[in-house]
This record gives sequence, structure tokens and C-alpha cells, in this order.
Amino acid sequence: MTPIIKVTNLDKYFDDLHVLKDLSFEIAPREVVCIIGRSGSGKSTLLRCLNFLEPPDFGTVSIDGVEIRCGGQGRAWRKQVHDLRLKTGMVFQSFNLFAHMTALENVIEGPITVKKMGRQEAIELGMINLEKVGLMDKANQFPSRLSGGQQQRVAIARAMTMQPKVMLFDEPTSALDPELVGEVLAVMQRLVEEGMTMVTVTHEMGFARRFADRIMYMDEGQFVEVASPDEIFSDPKDDRTRQFLSHLHVHQHEHAHS
Amino acid sequence: MSITADPVEPVPPSTLESERLSGQARELAKRRSRRERRFSIGVKVSYVVLFFFLAFLFSGVQISIGGIEINTINLDWEFIRTYAGFIFRGVWLTILLSILAITLSVVLAILGALGRLSRSPFAYALSTFYVSLIRGTPLLLQIFFFFLALPQLGIVMSGLTAGVLALGINYGAYNTEIVRAGIQSVGVGQREAALALGMTGNQIMRRIVLPQALKLTIPPLGNQFIAMLKDTSLVATTGFVWEILWRSQKVGRANFRSLEALLIAAVFYWIITIIFSAVQDRIEARISRGERTLA
Repeated sequence: MTPIIKVTNLDKYFDDLHVLKDLSFEIAPREVVCIIGRSGSGKSTLLRCLNFLEPPDFGTVSIDGVEIRCGGQGRAWRKQVHDLRLKTGMVFQSFNLFAHMTALENVIEGPITVKKMGRQEAIELGMINLEKVGLMDKANQFPSRLSGGQQQRVAIARAMTMQPKVMLFDEPTSALDPELVGEVLAVMQRLVEEGMTMVTVTHEMGFARRFADRIMYMDEGQFVEVASPDEIFSDPKDDRTRQFLSHLHVHQHEHAHS
Repeated sequence: MSITADPVEPVPPSTLESERLSGQARELAKRRSRRERRFSIGVKVSYVVLFFFLAFLFSGVQISIGGIEINTINLDWEFIRTYAGFIFRGVWLTILLSILAITLSVVLAILGALGRLSRSPFAYALSTFYVSLIRGTPLLLQIFFFFLALPQLGIVMSGLTAGVLALGINYGAYNTEIVRAGIQSVGVGQREAALALGMTGNQIMRRIVLPQALKLTIPPLGNQFIAMLKDTSLVATTGFVWEILWRSQKVGRANFRSLEALLIAAVFYWIITIIFSAVQDRIEARISRGERTLA
């Protein structure tokens, strides 16, 4: 099967800091990939490079037929980046809902402004997606009136209403109170079941274990280990992976007791 | 000595405790509101005292306390009755001048702020140059420039137009910084979310950043407007705009009654400022109420 995401020889620097080192990988349609690793390992940067929120410095990124050689500029290149962004939907750690818009206005902003969709059509589509995340009744609420979990579900609906080919999740549950994590994971599970291609940076090992087809463990801007959840969790090959996971197990153990 | 609970009183101790606490809370609230009431009564009494002191100062009466003669200021009330109406007719021009100039200044400020934040070198340079030039020269000089220097080049404008341009351009430079600060205080996450949706830079500025930024700038721009109400008087020095101060100086000088004329003008400026400050308080209250549902 032809991959839907193809990254070749990707490099990213923050000034002198080499944060992503010559990364190449492919992701198949409908595949669910979880990127894990310590903070500072470059996992969020990698995700943000996929839709050029952080423009990578070298290499190529190709998503669903839109291929971009990094480091370009000019009108044509920016048009390509724009096309690539339309293939992706992104969900942020801190939700980033537009504070001056209601939930529904957040959801229909992209279709109306970017896709020039008619308002009525956008509202219908938006309501379908708000229903999918279980928040039809909150359509006219401003983000400040919603809980973190509800805000994140609206953010997912906002991304989905653009009908992307790939969904990128950047630690979608890290900013949530523990009791609100479940409702967001449930929505993500629903997307998995619908066959959405997903790349998720996460610390939710339960989610990764249950739904990921592949897990990529990153350290210092490189993939240390890429394998199925079973292999990673029960038989990590690399020392660093093993250490990271054991630390995590201890941590979750402590959590269960506190 | 018995330590068993009294059987006649079945109220559990936790209820008693919470009643005691809520009683304390009520008592504290009472004390607090008593304190606040006392303060506000004190303020009102002080206002009355100050007012009567001012009234006495301008009453014209002579009194002697223990042999010391005190002369208060004697005002020409006939003059005041005759010319207050003439000076009052300048109030509308002052307000009109302020509203037009603040409108121009906000438009310039938005353009200036976009320039300051622009990646276009020319836009950045132009707006930095504008802010630097205007903030680096006196407002009165700029007003003279529009009224006196431009006519020398054959550019002659009506007094109102020249006044609006001079004040609007001057305040635009200061307001540029206010709007720029507003734009920069909109979180970077808002911009990133919009980028991820595929919005262009212009769309993000127009639909996401500016609506949020301008709301933040309403209180400081309100202050600027109230300052502007009084700076319009600088235009009087040119003699071409018949606003409050110009009218007051005209009749004051002609009748050798500048004291009375300036006092009338001061009272009018003061009243206008009090009214617009109250309006501003209302608007700010509404915004902050909105923020509780928005932020």
C-alpha cells in the first residue's frame, strides 16, 4: 500500500541545537502511530514539522500526494505548505480554541474562511462533528464556559470539520485533570475505529498500547525503537526504551496508590 | 463530670460547628460592609466640604477672623451670565473634534501596529519612522505645522480638518504602541491553531488576532480619548477653531475678564471629562463582565 505520509531525511535545528536528526519514515493510510519519549526528545517538534508549524530545515515531507522540499520560500512554496496543512488536522495540548468564538463558531471558522464553504453547509457539517464528540448542546457556549475535556473535544471537532486525511495530536490529554482524560481518549478511540490515520504524541501508555499499530520511541531527535505496542511494552530492545518504560511503570504505580 | 452527649440535644456537633462558622462569616461580612459604608460617607462629606471651600473662595465675601482680614475672590457674575452660553457653544466642537481625531488615530494605530509587527522591511521602517517622528516632536508644534506651515506650501484646510489631522496623527503614534501591545498579548496558540486550519496571515490577523486584541485595547484607548478631549484646546492657539478655550479667551480678553472666562472653560472641560469617564467605566465594566464568560 502506498504510504499516506512519507518523510525523508528530515532535519530541524533550533539555532545551534540539532533537534531532529535525519529522520525518515512512512505511515500507511488508516495507521495509528504513537510517538513517545522523554520531554526534549523532539517528539512534539517532529509532529509540528509534519504540518510546517515548525518548518523543517532539510529533507522532504509528503502527505497524501503533496510533497514539499524543506527550506523553500516564495508564493508557490507557501501554496504547497497551505495544501499540505489542508491534509492535516491538528489538536494541541492546550486546546487553543479561539477565545472570542463559541464552540460552533470555532468549528465552522476553517470551512468558511479557508474552504469558502457556505455558512449553512458549514453549520450542518459542524453540528455533525460536535455531535460526534458529544457536545451538540454546547454549540453556543464560549470556550471559557467549557471544561478542559470539553474544550479539547471541541478542538477535535474543529480539526475534523476540515475533513483532513491525517490527524496530528500533540499531547492531547497532558493539560487535563485526570478525571477528564477519559472523555478525550474516548473521542480519539472513535476516530481510530472510523479508520482515521493518526499520529499522536502522548504519555497515555494505555491508549498507545490498545490502539497504536506502531510506537516510535524517540530520544535526542532520533528514533531509538520503532515497533508494535506488544514488542515495545513486553520486550523493548533498546536500553533507553527499557529505562523510559520502567520509569513510567513506577510512576503509574505510584499514581495508582496516591 | 460526664463526657456523654446531652440526650436532649440531638444536633450533631458538625452541624453546630458549621452554623457557628456561617455565623462568623455573616459577622465578618457585616463588619466589612460597615467599614465600606463609613468610608464612602466620609468621601461624600469631603466632597461637600471641598465644594463649599471652592464656593467660598470665589464668593467675594470679606470676613475677619481675630482681626485678620480675609478677602475672597470677587467674580463678575454679570459677565459669567452673559458669556457662559457663548463659551458653551464650543463644547460640541470640542467633542466633535475629539471623536473625529480619536477615530483617525485608531485607524492609524492599527496600521502602525501592523507595520511594527510586519515582516515587510518597508512597512516596519515606515511605521517605526512615523512613531519616532511624531513622538519626538511636540504636539503643539505639530498643530502649528498643520495650521501655519502647510498654508505656506499652498495647502489650506479648514480649521476643523487641520485640527483633526494634527491630533489624529499625533495620537495615532501613541496608540500604535497600545494596539501593538494588544496584538502581542493574544496568545501564540491562537495563531498556531489558525495556521493549522490553513488560514493565511491576513485571515488570522483579521478574524482571530485583531478581534481579541482590540477588545484588550478598549480601556487604554478610552483613557486616550479622555486625554484628547482636553488636548483639543491646543488647537485654540491657532485661532481657527472655535472650541471651548478659544471662545473663552476671546471674550475674556475683550472684557478683561480672563479669570471668569477661564473658570467657565475649566468647568465645562471638567464636566465633559466626568461624563465621558463615567461612560468609559460602564464600557469597561461590560467588557470585564464579558470576559468572565469569554476568557
